[in-house]
This record gives sequence, C-alpha cells and structure tokens, in this order.
Amino acid sequence: MRIEKCYFCSAPIYPGHGMMFVRNDCKMFRFCRSKCHKNFKKKRNPRKIRWTKAFRKAAGKELTVDNSFEFEKRRNEPVKYQRELWSKTVEAMKRVEEIKQKRQARFIMNRLKKGKELEKAQDIKMVKQNIHLIRAPHAGKAKKLEDKMVQKLQEDVDMEDSS
Amino acid sequence: MTRSKQVGNHKNDKKKNIAKTWKTKRRVKDIDQIHEDMRPENAGRLLKQEIDYDVPGNAQHYCLHCARYFVDLKTLKEHFKTKVHKRRLKQLREEPYTQEEAERAAGMGSYRPPKQIQVQTQEVEME
Repeated sequence: MRIEKCYFCSAPIYPGHGMMFVRNDCKMFRFCRSKCHKNFKKKRNPRKIRWTKAFRKAAGKELTVDNSFEFEKRRNEPVKYQRELWSKTVEAMKRVEEIKQKRQARFIMNRLKKGKELEKAQDIKMVKQNIHLIRAPHAGKAKKLEDKMVQKLQEDVDMEDSS
Repeated sequence: MTRSKQVGNHKNDKKKNIAKTWKTKRRVKDIDQIHEDMRPENAGRLLKQEIDYDVPGNAQHYCLHCARYFVDLKTLKEHFKTKVHKRRLKQLREEPYTQEEAERAAGMGSYRPPKQIQVQTQEVEME
C-alpha cells in the first residue's frame, strides 16, 4: 500500500480515492479528484494553474529548496521489520514534519514582510500627495500674514512722516 | 505565471462541443508525447511515413510539433505561419511536466526549475 501523489495538484491520494488514467503508451496518471482529472483532460499545464503545488513552488510562493524535503522518498527496497527501527522511524517522522512545518511557515511570513513594507511606503506617498485634505494650505500662516501686514502699515506710516 | 485570459477565438467550432473533444476516443497527443516524437530517431520516422490512405494527404505532410497531417505541402507551409503553430512551439520550449515534478512539489525532494529546450519548425524540402 502506498499513498500516491496527484499528477496535477500534488495532493496525497489514499487508497480507494481518486482515479487513474492509463494512456495508450502505458503511462499512468493519478488524480486526487475529478477537478484535477478534468483539468488534465483540458490539457492544462499544472505549472500555470494557480492552485497547484507545482505553480506555488515555481512562483516562489512556498519554500522550495530545503533539507527537510530530502526525507520523504520513493524507496523501492523493502526493509525487514525490526521493532526498534520502526518505532524510531515513527518518532523521526514526527520530528521532521514539525521542523518542516516551522520552516515553511517562517518562509511565508518572511515573504509577506515585503508586502507590508511596500504598503507602508505607498501610504506615506499618498499622505504626502493629499496633504491638503488633512491640513488647510494656509493653516499656520495667519501669524506670518499678520506680521507682514504690520510691517507694511509701519512702512506706510514712515512714508507719510517723511513727506 | 499570470492568469491566462481567453482573447478572441470564441467562435471556434472546436469550442462548441468541448465534452466531445475531451473524450478519449478523440484524444490528441499530449505535450510530453510530442517531446518524445521530437527525438531524432522518432522524428525521422514520423516525417517520412509510408503512404496511408486513411489520413489526410496520405500521411505525406506531417507537422511534428502539432501532430497534424496536412493535405499538401502548400497547406503545411501555410500552417507554419499560423498562430496555432507558433504557440505550440512556445509551449514545447519548456521541459514537459512529469509525475516526478508533481512529487517534488509535494515535498518529495527540492524544487528544480524546468529546462529550456531549443525548438524550431521542421525543415521542408523546397520544390
């Protein structure tokens, strides 16, 4: 018994689920659900379909290169059952999964940081451009205007005096 | 990478009965099969086929990349200038998608970007 991977979206296929298409050159294609099968029939390229794992990896949405991906493999040699080895493997699988999850989550959080920065820069730009909506263009200039007026009056008075 | 949008070509007869075109009975070759055909040992055999009265043009004018038979050399040459053919060449420039790549994407191994392949329209004899 083996948990296969979907040809289209890379989801796990448990026994008794999904379907298999065998092409007339004996090549097998397994699909997790009819959605994937239909998309295959439409001859779509999984690398270009947004919701597939292949797209997400190709577009840098998810962690792509990491040592934690080197554990799960298709190993075609059967291993003789040993109780100790078995229990150790199960323990290791749990640990590896935990580490993998953590790394993937961290990758996504780091990826999203870029967006936050851009958003902030955009906000600052917008405020700078539309500052007149928040603060009236002549706000704080009243005092200056008054000073100017006083100066002008003074000058006028001086002129009259001299004449 | 971007979302593909259908531009034009809404009135194609092929699109009127899509359920029929997806039947295995009318199945046409997949991209990875064409990649297999493009290998020199297969390509030579496909481009110089024996006379077969059941296919268009008695199997003498075959487009390797589109896996189509044409009635004569003129139509074959016309076909090379079409958008359909050029689009197909572009599709073929990337290494075909495989089950192995699906498994890599699922976490069985690290991601490897697809290789680029040089693809050119087949040569036709001048007459």
